[in-house]
Amino acid sequence: MSELPRLGVGIGWRSEIDITVERLPGVDFVEVVAENIHIGHIPESVVLLRERGVPVLPHGVSLSLGGADEVDAQRVKHLAEVAEALDAPLVSDHVCFVRAGGLDSGHLMPVPRTRDALDVLVANVKAAQQDLPVPLALENVAALLEWPDGELSEGQFLAELVERTDCYLLVDVANLYANARNLGTDPERFLDEIPLERLAYVHVAGGVEHGEVYHDTHAHAVLPEVLGLLDELCSRVAPPGVLLERDDNYPSDTEIATELAAIREVVEKHR
Amino acid sequence: MTDARERLAAAQAELLRALLADGPIPAGFDESRFVVERRALLSKRRGVAAMLGPEVANELGERFRPLFDAYATAHPRTAGSRAREDAANFADWARERGELPPVETPRKRWWRRSS
Repeated sequence: MSELPRLGVGIGWRSEIDITVERLPGVDFVEVVAENIHIGHIPESVVLLRERGVPVLPHGVSLSLGGADEVDAQRVKHLAEVAEALDAPLVSDHVCFVRAGGLDSGHLMPVPRTRDALDVLVANVKAAQQDLPVPLALENVAALLEWPDGELSEGQFLAELVERTDCYLLVDVANLYANARNLGTDPERFLDEIPLERLAYVHVAGGVEHGEVYHDTHAHAVLPEVLGLLDELCSRVAPPGVLLERDDNYPSDTEIATELAAIREVVEKHR
Repeated sequence: MTDARERLAAAQAELLRALLADGPIPAGFDESRFVVERRALLSKRRGVAAMLGPEVANELGERFRPLFDAYATAHPRTAGSRAREDAANFADWARERGELPPVETPRKRWWRRSS
């Protein structure tokens, strides 16, 4: 298994903020949503970033690896082609399902933390890995509901997934925060249980509280509590990369730069 | 393994039917969290439709939300469908109900005139 590169601090490239991303100081790497990239029509801004030597990591949202259906070979093929076109060191998707019974949830749904679900996930991940030219990292999702009859904690579930598939982890600390807030999971226990040596990088994002529920919107400012979890993670391991995700309700360039600087400050505190 | 897949398939399908098409809440789920999730999924889908078809959302104004929610629950998104199709299908659905004016036949452009 190849060593993963040091990535630094990055931001999710989105067409709405393409020029912002190009000219922001201190963007060491970016991520693109793989489903939005069309081979042969790579956005000029992404090409420019590649020419500057900025790593561009394809991030999938539709493999549905935690779903009961067999992996969709076309979707894996697309992710593989995007990785090759961008000369990416790794790709990622989520520990989730989006399709079942012929329906599409339109969102990343949590999988039951049962042996059955883990066996299916492991088989799907192995099938996807066979057709991917680079390592695969898998991300923990934010859930608003929890399946009954879980047999493993989220950390145990991911640890076993890594052990059985050799995948990497993409830890989203905002999702960790959301689950702690909404479902009462223990983020420190999560960090204790996952194999941190398999950490590929970290996601940080903003959200908002509606009533008693925290929504992981990627459209609001990053909460200090989320940076606190990043701090907790960095006290245990130096993450190869940390990436800010902003998908809507884009603020000024200055505000984005400030959020990136706050992330860098946390990372560098532990160097 | 096939058994595991089949059990998981049944559970996931039941959950999505319940969340997206107002099916009964599967046993063991917390009801209040379930309702929050159902609302969040609906709100995300509505937001995407409004972004892709702002003229439809604007034309419907305050009627957009209740109409879209009725449409969405009656027509859960099928696997492999696209967000743009969803927005277009909603517009057709609203038009069929007389909530939107009928589509005008495009005017013939002068450069397309045959003679």
